[in-house]
Amino acid sequence: MPLKIVMPKLGLTMTEGTLIEWTKKEGDSVKAGEVLFILETEKVTYEFEAPEDGTLGKIIIHNQDEVPVGEVVGYLLRPGETLDDLKIETAVSNQRPETLETLNAESAVSQSDSNTDLPLETNDMRVKATPMAKKEARRRHIDLRTVKGTGPGGRIIREDVQKKNEEQQTASTPEQPHKTSGQKLVPLTGMRRAIAKKMLSSKVETAQTYMSNTVNAANVKEYRKLLLSHLEKKTDARVTITDVMMKITAAALKEHPVINTRWTDDGILYFDDVHMGMAMALDEGLIVPVIRDINRKSIIQVAENRLELIGRGRNKSFLPDDISGSTFTLSAMGMYGIEQFTSNINLPENAILAVGAIIDKPVAINGELAIRPMMNITLSYDHRTIDGSEAGKFMQTLTRYIENPILIFE
Amino acid sequence: MGNGVKITIIGGGVGGYPAGIRAARMGAEVTLIEKDELGGVCLNRGCIPTKSLLQSGKVIQTIKESETFGIKCGEYKADFSAIMARKNRVVSQLCSGVQRLLAAKKIKVIKGTASILDSRTVQIEQSKEKIISDTIIIASGSSPAKLNIEGAGGPGVMNSDTFLEMKTLPQSVAIVGGGAIGCEFAQILNNLGVQVTILEMEENLIPGTDKEIARALQKSLVNDGIKVFTKAGVKKIEHRKNKNTIVFEHQKKSQKCEAAKVVFSVGRKPQTAALNVDKIGLAHQNGALKVNEYMETNISGIYAVGDVIGGTMLAHVATAEGECAVKNALGQKTRMNYKVIPACIYTSPEVASVGLSEEIARDKYDDVEVGLFPFTGCGKALVINETYGLVKIVAEKKDREILGVHIIGPHATDMISEAVLGMSMEMGVEDLANAIHPHPTLSESILESSLTLHGGAIHMP
Repeated sequence: MPLKIVMPKLGLTMTEGTLIEWTKKEGDSVKAGEVLFILETEKVTYEFEAPEDGTLGKIIIHNQDEVPVGEVVGYLLRPGETLDDLKIETAVSNQRPETLETLNAESAVSQSDSNTDLPLETNDMRVKATPMAKKEARRRHIDLRTVKGTGPGGRIIREDVQKKNEEQQTASTPEQPHKTSGQKLVPLTGMRRAIAKKMLSSKVETAQTYMSNTVNAANVKEYRKLLLSHLEKKTDARVTITDVMMKITAAALKEHPVINTRWTDDGILYFDDVHMGMAMALDEGLIVPVIRDINRKSIIQVAENRLELIGRGRNKSFLPDDISGSTFTLSAMGMYGIEQFTSNINLPENAILAVGAIIDKPVAINGELAIRPMMNITLSYDHRTIDGSEAGKFMQTLTRYIENPILIFE
Repeated sequence: MGNGVKITIIGGGVGGYPAGIRAARMGAEVTLIEKDELGGVCLNRGCIPTKSLLQSGKVIQTIKESETFGIKCGEYKADFSAIMARKNRVVSQLCSGVQRLLAAKKIKVIKGTASILDSRTVQIEQSKEKIISDTIIIASGSSPAKLNIEGAGGPGVMNSDTFLEMKTLPQSVAIVGGGAIGCEFAQILNNLGVQVTILEMEENLIPGTDKEIARALQKSLVNDGIKVFTKAGVKKIEHRKNKNTIVFEHQKKSQKCEAAKVVFSVGRKPQTAALNVDKIGLAHQNGALKVNEYMETNISGIYAVGDVIGGTMLAHVATAEGECAVKNALGQKTRMNYKVIPACIYTSPEVASVGLSEEIARDKYDDVEVGLFPFTGCGKALVINETYGLVKIVAEKKDREILGVHIIGPHATDMISEAVLGMSMEMGVEDLANAIHPHPTLSESILESSLTLHGGAIHMP
């Protein structure tokens, strides 16, 4: 039987993907591992590889937005099979998302996820909606549970979804500017939508509170300088202030476990390890790659790990694990000379640290005016989980470590 | 819900009587006024009698093709008066059925002509009895439209009412108007050996129907020996001694055709004469009462349903409107939805359609795809020896929503309901294609037609 190729599930929260393009044509023979098509999710661009040798028999979905996970996008003919086998196959069973057994290795991993990550609509109670209403809702990113049905038996029909969409549009953009010359409308990418959704929920759903301190970064600078000359011959990776700050922050987190937590409906989830998220700008937008188990990594490993992640980000080859699972995030703006800023908590984490540029400033030391390299650090924390005193204690430890980096090697 | 609410319904046709039964079931106290026979045009002078006559014709067809099935029948004789008597028996049986249903629901039926005095009062003209109620539903129906040409009132000219009361069969008949009614009349007469000519003003017979389907019907009628002129504008009718000459313009030339009788089937017009419409200020347009989407007229408490409001003059639409009016009158706010309405023609082959024709769909949507499956590819059609026709599915390409389904062929009118259900649930081509259809049936042709848009049909190269 020809092999169904379906939109893979690349992460816990993935429900749909954009099929960007096929790299093979119908009738091309392919070897296992060769790239069949490129897809984009909210977070990553991903190359889908052929699970077996064969011939690309038929492309069902060419390039399209919002292809649901599990939807058949094409068929791979196994050696010896012809298009006739395909005809029978497509005629007999079409687009049955539950036939996940033909997914390849990556998606097989996520198969177990699919049980815990059912689409919301099947979670509580079944939403009565026509197939066309469902398609329309998917396209417009509308939660069917928020739509009132006017069809037969209270079913949600397409028109209901369209109305809801219009309502939302008029509510969110009261005055739609007319497009004239000198303006252009850039459609929202999946990634932009994802960022927008996440940033907004971070502001709306958490009790975000801020705490700031300006610390003497002389020893951080000195420490990095020493490291650079020490490591020069060992590795190409140049340790940055951000690398040092990530290590220092991770050490402080170890002493204040409540900062390294996640808010869940069932309770506050504590982590033994620190997986450090580092905010990073790609051309497409913000992304937070993760340095796993940072406390168990040396500073060189952290630097190397960071460079690998940056490389994958630029090549659009992030793996799902690269960009998920952080327990705390650090955002640095030193390279832009930004003195002080606040960051938005990277949900579902409970806190994020914003690290400003190191700037020489006059400070009073023992009653004398002196010039020191000063750095501002600002913690954004969710006050639902973290009390001010806990945040204060964490900031105190962090300040002590920044001013004396040697202390992290206790 | 409707406990104690008084509703008066004017008209006992398929708009009025089902509304009465629904209202009574919901607890209302219903009075129904009918000036003629219960069941209205549909039961007495429309749907039912014509289908009964068509069925007699179908029996003739069966006898004629009996040898194909290995059965020799010998001579047959069509007894026109017996055919008409059988039609009358069917009609009267259904009418008395309606009477019993209304009685069982304790609906008071008054025979008489109703006029409305105000938003709560209806008066019976004959008895001067006044009926006061909370809600009035007008379902007074329609009557055959006339063509305003010279000779239209002549003795040889019939309309659908007089057609159904013919005592003897004429030698030849010219039918003016090739819509559903005209085509059905043509076939009834043709099967009984009458020479038939249809004169239709539009480009095709059954105007408004998908053109491919309309042409297929025309071809079939012509094959049966019916003469068809389309784009034929009838100018006048000259009557001379049992003979009528119909003068019409065809291909920019004046032409003539002769026939013993002329039947007008040029549509119907709303019937409001006795209602007192202008005196009480009921809004109307081109003779049809104006209503909103809740079937309410401009006067609060007065509703109107069926042919009297114009629009799609079909029995099942009238029934649906009546139901809608009752629900609104009794506080269950309901909008009338005209999106998915089937239309049927009971010729042989039958024609049934729902939704948009290919022409209109292409006009409305950027990307339209059409699935076709001929009955020649259907085993059951071959078994019953009726392979003429096809199932056509018009769908929108992007979301694959079914926009229209058009069938010409055996039992088309029974089969269309699957499409009606599917379309009212806004289903896509794949939903139809993924449903298992029983074998061997004619309905497999619907499945196959949808498969032509979804992976390819099985029984078609």
